[in-house]
Amino acid sequence: MTHLFAADLVKAEPLWRAIEQPMALKALVAIVGVALIAWELWWFLGRHGGGVVARESEAGVQEITITVDGGYAPSRIRVKAGQPMRLAFHRIDPSGCVAQVIFPDFHKTLDLPLDATTSLELPPTEAGTYPFHCGMNMVRGVLEVE
Amino acid sequence: MSDPSASPSCCHSDGMAASADGMERELARELTQLRRKVSVAVVLTALVMLSSLPHMLGVHSLPFLPAWFTSPWTQLILTTPVLFWCGRGFFTGAASAFRQHGADMNTLVAAGTGIAWLTSLFSTVFPQLLIAEGLPADVYYETTAVILTMVLLGNLLEARARGQTSEAIRRLLQLQPPTARVMRDGHAVQIPVSQVVVGDLVQVRPGEKLPTDGVVREGSSWVEESMLTGEPTPVAKAAGDAVIGASMNRSGSFTFRVSRVGGDTVLAQIVELVRQAQSSRTRVQRVADQVVSWFAPVVIALAIAAFVIWFLVSGNPVLAMLFLVSVLVIACPCALGLATPTSIMVASGKGAENGLIFRSAEALETAGKLRTIVLDKTGTLTRGQPEVTQFERLSGGVVPADSLLALTAALESRSEHPLAEAIVAYATRQLNPGDLPAVAGFEAVAGRGVQGVIAGQQVLVGTPRWFPELGIDTAALQPLVERLEALACSVAAVVVDGRIEACFGVADPLKASSEAAVAALRRLGLQVVMLSGDARRTAEVVAAQVGIERVIAEVRPADKSSVIRKLQEQGEGLVAMVGDGINDAPALAQADVGIAMGTGTDVAIAASDITLISGNLAGVPAAIELSRHTMANIRQNLFFAFAYNVAGIPIAAGVLFPLTGWLLSPMIAGGAMAFSSVSVVSNALRLRNFRPTPLPVAAS
Repeated sequence: MTHLFAADLVKAEPLWRAIEQPMALKALVAIVGVALIAWELWWFLGRHGGGVVARESEAGVQEITITVDGGYAPSRIRVKAGQPMRLAFHRIDPSGCVAQVIFPDFHKTLDLPLDATTSLELPPTEAGTYPFHCGMNMVRGVLEVE
Repeated sequence: MSDPSASPSCCHSDGMAASADGMERELARELTQLRRKVSVAVVLTALVMLSSLPHMLGVHSLPFLPAWFTSPWTQLILTTPVLFWCGRGFFTGAASAFRQHGADMNTLVAAGTGIAWLTSLFSTVFPQLLIAEGLPADVYYETTAVILTMVLLGNLLEARARGQTSEAIRRLLQLQPPTARVMRDGHAVQIPVSQVVVGDLVQVRPGEKLPTDGVVREGSSWVEESMLTGEPTPVAKAAGDAVIGASMNRSGSFTFRVSRVGGDTVLAQIVELVRQAQSSRTRVQRVADQVVSWFAPVVIALAIAAFVIWFLVSGNPVLAMLFLVSVLVIACPCALGLATPTSIMVASGKGAENGLIFRSAEALETAGKLRTIVLDKTGTLTRGQPEVTQFERLSGGVVPADSLLALTAALESRSEHPLAEAIVAYATRQLNPGDLPAVAGFEAVAGRGVQGVIAGQQVLVGTPRWFPELGIDTAALQPLVERLEALACSVAAVVVDGRIEACFGVADPLKASSEAAVAALRRLGLQVVMLSGDARRTAEVVAAQVGIERVIAEVRPADKSSVIRKLQEQGEGLVAMVGDGINDAPALAQADVGIAMGTGTDVAIAASDITLISGNLAGVPAAIELSRHTMANIRQNLFFAFAYNVAGIPIAAGVLFPLTGWLLSPMIAGGAMAFSSVSVVSNALRLRNFRPTPLPVAAS
């Protein structure tokens, strides 16, 4: 691994030398780069859609099915305050990370077997936002009670 | 935010063991698959590195390597399966996360290795384009392969370590024996525990584990409950005593009637409480969570910025690409995300092993920051059951001790006063079992005592204040009363035919562990306060015996919570209340940390933040120690994870390059990333070595 530290490589390999580039190309790379950053931040961090509203069953339970595949689809779930809810997680992603879903505010952990639907029933809750996430805290969703 | 967890739970707790089993199998499957992928990746990566050896050494060729083997096309063929078979999970994970507007670990790894591979592919297919630009047509297949192999290896180590964090729960679940010997139609039959129902009679032989909870019907034995309560000494069990499932029977045999099965058992409740605690999060984690959700997108932005800046500075696209890849693969959001949950997992399991049940991660977090600890006297410092501690004959007495005890017991057994119960228990223990003499003309005098005629003798038992009113000379009794009262005893004297014969000192004895536990709490730097409904003098005597200086006495049960509130308002720091969990529930709720003393048979007192299953006060300093260890561990993890990323990302972006000429190879960046999350998990696993500082007196 000769290019671990580049001090000597600057001399040894032509890779590290500077190359004159036309001004237009530099400008183009800068503009594309900035645009890419802006788009990427918007895509990952921006708000996309208003969340999905859970439907209400006859028994007054709010129900929604969430597909677990790399992320939670939908990942923003809107429910009404003061009514019980049932969240059904359908996991098709084999990654071990999403094998658990955790609702920290409810002190609940739900194990999700692969290719199966597992339900979590939650009691009526006050308005607020209650995040949930996978066992390793990388895949996340939010329950918005309003 | 409100705490909805306080509402009644309605989750599927049946089949908990089954689901834990399923998770186990899944983890095992994940490990097998990872191991296979790592093995393939290691072999192929070694070949790729060998193939790129001449290039790395800066020579044209090596005598022992044929030209075809060192060709970029060979490297392409060797690397592609590493990327798209071994590393397939990173790409599919990144793609599905992308569709959900999510970016995570997978995104960073997939983008980093994907870009390096595409660049290499370009110079393999169109080398002349680069050469025309004055650039070498270098390929970075070995970099791609090494990064992926390192990250996979890191995943493997991390998955193995993660399996160990939930070890405590697994051990708890394994405590329950699979079968029970139950009486059916007069015969003992061996049946699976799942078929045992409430009311069944279960036989337990020496050395066997108890299959479920119940009450001893006949027989007696010593039972070891240490795996559930953390109490090292076995407990004597006889007819009428409650026993808990998963405890270990020592020498005797007995039969017990099943009182709870399945999810209602103490063991199942402990497991459920621990799982709940592991699902909750600390306040400090909320901050880390915020950072994690911004992390990957920000790192991608930084990587693109590094590319643009290096391109503008050097005009060298290959150099800029290497910086881009380094930034992508060195960043490790996993270390941040794992920092607290793994420590909490290990610590709450460790607590359970020691009979300390934390209801939430927040309880675990707060316990270590307590400044003041309020101990309820009755049932916490003391056993909560008055006992005769002194029996003193007066010098002028003429009735023999045995007859005196029989007379007293006969009379007191008719009384409903709490002290009477203690005196009867004491007297019957001293006497041979037999019928007590008959009492004629029994009369209870409120606030004074009881009297009656037994075998022709007029017998009175009551407070010494009563007798002067009846014209009985109490001069000889007085010094005795003063001495007993100084020991925090209530005094009852026995008068037979107008002569004081003896007196009883009744006290609620201290638990053996109380004094050592109070000393341990003070060593931990806490201010210890005793709370009692007793008269100030009695309370102060008890406090002095255990070494407590600050006493709040004469508090009615209903006022306990306002006392706690007052302490909180006086700025005594975070205040904990230790009580029995039933009468003290409001005070436990008012305190910053409510600690309930369990009785070993009922953990349903989940309203508290911490439950000590054993009822041994030594658990309080142990819980505080565990909390401090855990928080220190979390701080180390978070510090490491933040410091690693804060230092690593700029170095990977080439900040040091103009100053020192240092440039991190993308390969080293990948290795560092893989091992940063492994280090965090390994550090959390160190908590498994936690042992509470032993107290001089352990048994109670």
